[in-house]
Amino acid sequence: MTTYAVEVVYRGIFQRTLSRNICRGIVLAAHKGGKIGTAFGRYGDSPERNGIPAKYFAVVADDQLELEESLAKYEPKEVDVTICVDDTLCKGVESWAWYGLQPINALTKEGGALLVTSKQAADALLEDIHRKGMPYRLAIVSGPASFSGLWVYKDDHTDVRILGALARVCPGLVSMEAYEQVIQEIWSNEAKVRSARRSYDQTRVRPVEPAEGNTSVPFSFTKPGWTQMREALTIVGVPQGAGFRGGQGGFQPARSEVFKKFSTRTMRPIVNFQTCTKCTLCWLQCPDSCFDVTPDGRYDANLEACCGCGVCADVCPVADCVTMVNEAHFNDNSSQYDWFQRDKDGYLRWLTETVAQQKGEQRSHGFHHWGQYKEEIAAAAAASEAGHDN
Amino acid sequence: MTTTQKLPAIRGVHNAPLEEFYTSGHRTCQGCESALVMKLMIKAAGPRTVVLGSTGCMYVANTTYYSTPWVVPWMHTQLGSSGSAATGAAAGLKALMKKGKMKEEPINVISFCGDGGGADMGLSAISASLTHPEYNHLVLMYDNESYANTDIQVSGSSPWGAHTSFSPPGKARRIMHDRWKKNTAAMLAHGHPKSRYIATGCASYAVDLLNKVRRALTLGGPTFIHSFDPCPKGWDYDPRYSHELGMLAVETGLWVQWEIEDGVLRYSGPSRMIAIGRRKRKPIVEYLKRQGRFAHFTEEDIAYFQSQVDEIWEKWGTPGVSSVKLDLKGDRA
Repeated sequence: MTTYAVEVVYRGIFQRTLSRNICRGIVLAAHKGGKIGTAFGRYGDSPERNGIPAKYFAVVADDQLELEESLAKYEPKEVDVTICVDDTLCKGVESWAWYGLQPINALTKEGGALLVTSKQAADALLEDIHRKGMPYRLAIVSGPASFSGLWVYKDDHTDVRILGALARVCPGLVSMEAYEQVIQEIWSNEAKVRSARRSYDQTRVRPVEPAEGNTSVPFSFTKPGWTQMREALTIVGVPQGAGFRGGQGGFQPARSEVFKKFSTRTMRPIVNFQTCTKCTLCWLQCPDSCFDVTPDGRYDANLEACCGCGVCADVCPVADCVTMVNEAHFNDNSSQYDWFQRDKDGYLRWLTETVAQQKGEQRSHGFHHWGQYKEEIAAAAAASEAGHDN
Repeated sequence: MTTTQKLPAIRGVHNAPLEEFYTSGHRTCQGCESALVMKLMIKAAGPRTVVLGSTGCMYVANTTYYSTPWVVPWMHTQLGSSGSAATGAAAGLKALMKKGKMKEEPINVISFCGDGGGADMGLSAISASLTHPEYNHLVLMYDNESYANTDIQVSGSSPWGAHTSFSPPGKARRIMHDRWKKNTAAMLAHGHPKSRYIATGCASYAVDLLNKVRRALTLGGPTFIHSFDPCPKGWDYDPRYSHELGMLAVETGLWVQWEIEDGVLRYSGPSRMIAIGRRKRKPIVEYLKRQGRFAHFTEEDIAYFQSQVDEIWEKWGTPGVSSVKLDLKGDRA
């Protein structure tokens, strides 16, 4: 009697089809091996929001009774494999329901596995992944996070590459042969079967020691019980904001204490305070009111509140004044303006270097124009032929 | 009519108030234009405002799980009742002040609804609210062109041919949604002579929207604003282009920005330039090709969509507002 549970932690909407394909693939392949299973999205994540972390589960059991027993729980309390389809989620996951920030490996079993799609090396990822305090295994499917929207799916084979890697890290769940059979049945595409097999052959598993990982404490809050809630479930509003850093000039809004949204970010804006013309547009057009207005009329993206949508970079009229860069390279949310005030030259040097380095590696955040995914997949395939990626 | 707050027009982005009364910590999508509408709406209205919200994204994403980004008082109301909630709240405040239970002061009442709550099921209540000149309230309809909160079901406001959960394009039939209704504000303007102000807006033109909210609240009585909100989730595009898509909708002439104050119609921004012939409309394909919800369109579909936009500008009696033309030549019989 063995029940296997797998979770896919993904970016809401952007990776919904991807995670559904993965969990569906697991369950259908389990059927081939005479097992029974089910795949489902976590109720608390619905309705999903673009970018906000969400979860999909696949539970596989030997028989009906065992499966029903597992499903009687709201969601699995621990999983054999956590699949993380965007490496920026390794910093922690604040889903939009009432959880605070959870480590990516919160549900991973002792001895279980964390499977991440990433272009980073394991050691770099372990700077982000919180310390688990028990041994588990880490495997990487090399490649960028695959994002697309609700209607048009970017079929870049990430789904089947994950399945191939899963056969490697969790052989007891489903065999590689069963995955190959199911992939062929669903997609009728030999190339996808080959992608899965290649991923199976190439995936390496790295043991993680109990003491390894990020030691910072994820943000949390105390949930009031129902007896502590106010009459008629009224909620105390957010206090009115005040001057920048509580001073006289500028403005800094007060913000929600229990929902911060920064774990939604896969790219962050970096601001050149020197070339800024104080046009106000980044601040005015930010749907999340994330900019603090400084006394000298500049705009400091508050990285506890910024969800990385990129509207500021799009509306900014000055070239390279607001640039979106890969969130994976950062380990904190500290203020860029404070740094700029402390050390102008140092900040600007860093900024220029970072902008130059990262312009080429902009992450794709979904649909831009008809035919775009085809172009991107063709470009990735060409790079793969040239041996840049697996 | 009781007095209203006199909110002066904002001249240019540099004069927009710094204070936020709808702040960070809402559970909306990245690049949510409707959240931006909320932020701008209350930035324009100021702290002495009561906001009511009917069910939809801006209710669920903002006030679930015992937390909120609102600084001003906010209350939920049912999906179809933004109009009646607005009237009720305004009447309640008036009664409390009259009885001396509250200090006499002008308090803005704003009730918002999505296109599902406003253009579909709440239309009758909004219509009723616009017949009450004795109460000051604004109904703001944020239109993201679907029931977006519950994962993009088709609404009366969804555009022709769009892919939604209820209208997925298939092999046998490509266009699953072939209805077209996009004129809620004009529809309301024509039948409610007691409403002094009805307008359309878009958060991509932030100052214009701020001023329209201010104008509505300053004039008082029952007023209505319809905002056009690009939705990265339902329209399927990269969230960073929300602002750009709003501008494209106006520049292609699909979304027409105007206001009717005391029976006088004025176009605003690029819509005015198009109306007076100083600016050409961009081809609609510029707008369509940027969204996954139209990715199944053929040349024929694009041409049909373009013809519908051309029609509102070239064939309507009042372009973009009213399709009715005047004929005084005589009885048809």
